[in-house]
Amino acid sequence: MPSIDAPVLPNLLRGALIAAAIVLLSTSFARAAPAGTVVGLFGGCFVETGGSRSVAKIGQPVQVGDTVDVPADGKLKLRMSDGSVISVAAGTRITIAAFTVDAAGQRQDARLSLGQGLLRAVVAPVEHPASFEVDTAVGTAAVRSTDWFVEGSATAMQVGVLTGSVDMTSAATKRRETIPARWGARLEAGRDPVPPRVWSKAEFDAVIARTDVQ
Amino acid sequence: MAVAVALTLEICDFTPSALAYTAAGDRLFPATLVLPQIAPTDEFYVWGWTLPLGGGSTGAPDRLSNFDATYAKTITDNLGIVINSGSQNYTRIDRVGAGSLSGFQNFDTELKYLTITDGPHEFLLSLGLDREWGGTGAARVGASASGATTPRVYFGKGLGDMDIGYLRPLAITGFVGYQIADTPPRPDLFTAGFTVEYSIPYLQSKVQTLDLPEFIRGLTPMTEVLFTVPAGQSFGARTTALIAPGITYAGTGWELGIEALVPANRSTGNGGVGVKAQFHMSLDFLFPDTIGRPLFSQR
Repeated sequence: MPSIDAPVLPNLLRGALIAAAIVLLSTSFARAAPAGTVVGLFGGCFVETGGSRSVAKIGQPVQVGDTVDVPADGKLKLRMSDGSVISVAAGTRITIAAFTVDAAGQRQDARLSLGQGLLRAVVAPVEHPASFEVDTAVGTAAVRSTDWFVEGSATAMQVGVLTGSVDMTSAATKRRETIPARWGARLEAGRDPVPPRVWSKAEFDAVIARTDVQ
Repeated sequence: MAVAVALTLEICDFTPSALAYTAAGDRLFPATLVLPQIAPTDEFYVWGWTLPLGGGSTGAPDRLSNFDATYAKTITDNLGIVINSGSQNYTRIDRVGAGSLSGFQNFDTELKYLTITDGPHEFLLSLGLDREWGGTGAARVGASASGATTPRVYFGKGLGDMDIGYLRPLAITGFVGYQIADTPPRPDLFTAGFTVEYSIPYLQSKVQTLDLPEFIRGLTPMTEVLFTVPAGQSFGARTTALIAPGITYAGTGWELGIEALVPANRSTGNGGVGVKAQFHMSLDFLFPDTIGRPLFSQR
């Protein structure tokens, strides 16, 4: 019996090694393909990777797990690997929690974590169902393709939509509001979302100015 | 009979527009059923109401019913027009021991301009100019041969900016207007009204989130009160007052409301309590990129 088992074990071992190699190769490939790239910068901004903090530069790649820290005097723009563009306002911290694209560059899953601050996301359209989510301390905003703003803090978030529509869901109550183009809505910690309303030109102008990165 | 029916129509069929999603900051003023609303928007809505009348001798009216459809369109972000087509405003008068009368009301339009929006204080102020086009409806159902023009001032105020706990979902809306008749014997009328409403969506999103059933979360109980007072020569018209307690439910881009119509004096009605129901669609929410956009928008 041992003579029969003997060649089986090396085969299993070889298979396991091959599988491990494939996983490692795919992982290293994933790390090699950045989630996005810094394409606009104003003031001193930072990218935090695995506990180390470096000054952001034009052309610098950002990976899943990285945190972008934009101080009060800065602004930053990212072009993501699916073509989406994220403009980050001053006083914002955002972490790329997940970002995967398929071989054709189509987004499969994107999730950003907005600790505080404001961002504008021009989300690239995709041919198949794929979400683009921004998590805040109090809720989640999810879209497919649209041009929109989300601002978050520890106690509230608000969403404004220029084109398309955004679903905002309360983390506490799971209640959701759909926000169409030209509308916006707020969400306070522990509450249902406030029903959306039409945003004024002044309100849109304010968030556009804050996220305008030349 | 004609004066009584006309005045009852005047007060029960007053609403030249009904807007959901009229907002000041986080305060949304839901569509009202009896009072006019406080700001221009893009909307389409239909309503129906019926009110028993006193009856009496043969031929006297004993029930008044009305069905209507209205379209409102924003021209700019702050300016809009409301079209209440007479061809869609159908009235039926049931009579004692006689056949019913039916026909359309006068064509009615209103320009409305939103002048003040104070979000932090949940306050709105609008100006309106309503025009009823005389002689475009059927006289047998009370449509006047004389037209009338009514300038109005609208307001809305939420109490959410006050430190009053569970009373913060309360809001008050209202208007005052002066209806100037084109020609006698139609009287001029001072018109005014107010609404007191308690928004459950506001309670849930701004004050305290309670574990309420889904249906309850969308409700806004409200009571509307509407007055008309003849000014100058009355031509037989009397002061009318209507109280309309009810409730409205807000869905996604639509609202459904129902209210009792309680005449507060004999001039308004002496046959009992009526009912009014309204279904409202917010075109600016449902079709934000097409028919829901202002014709000339800065956004």
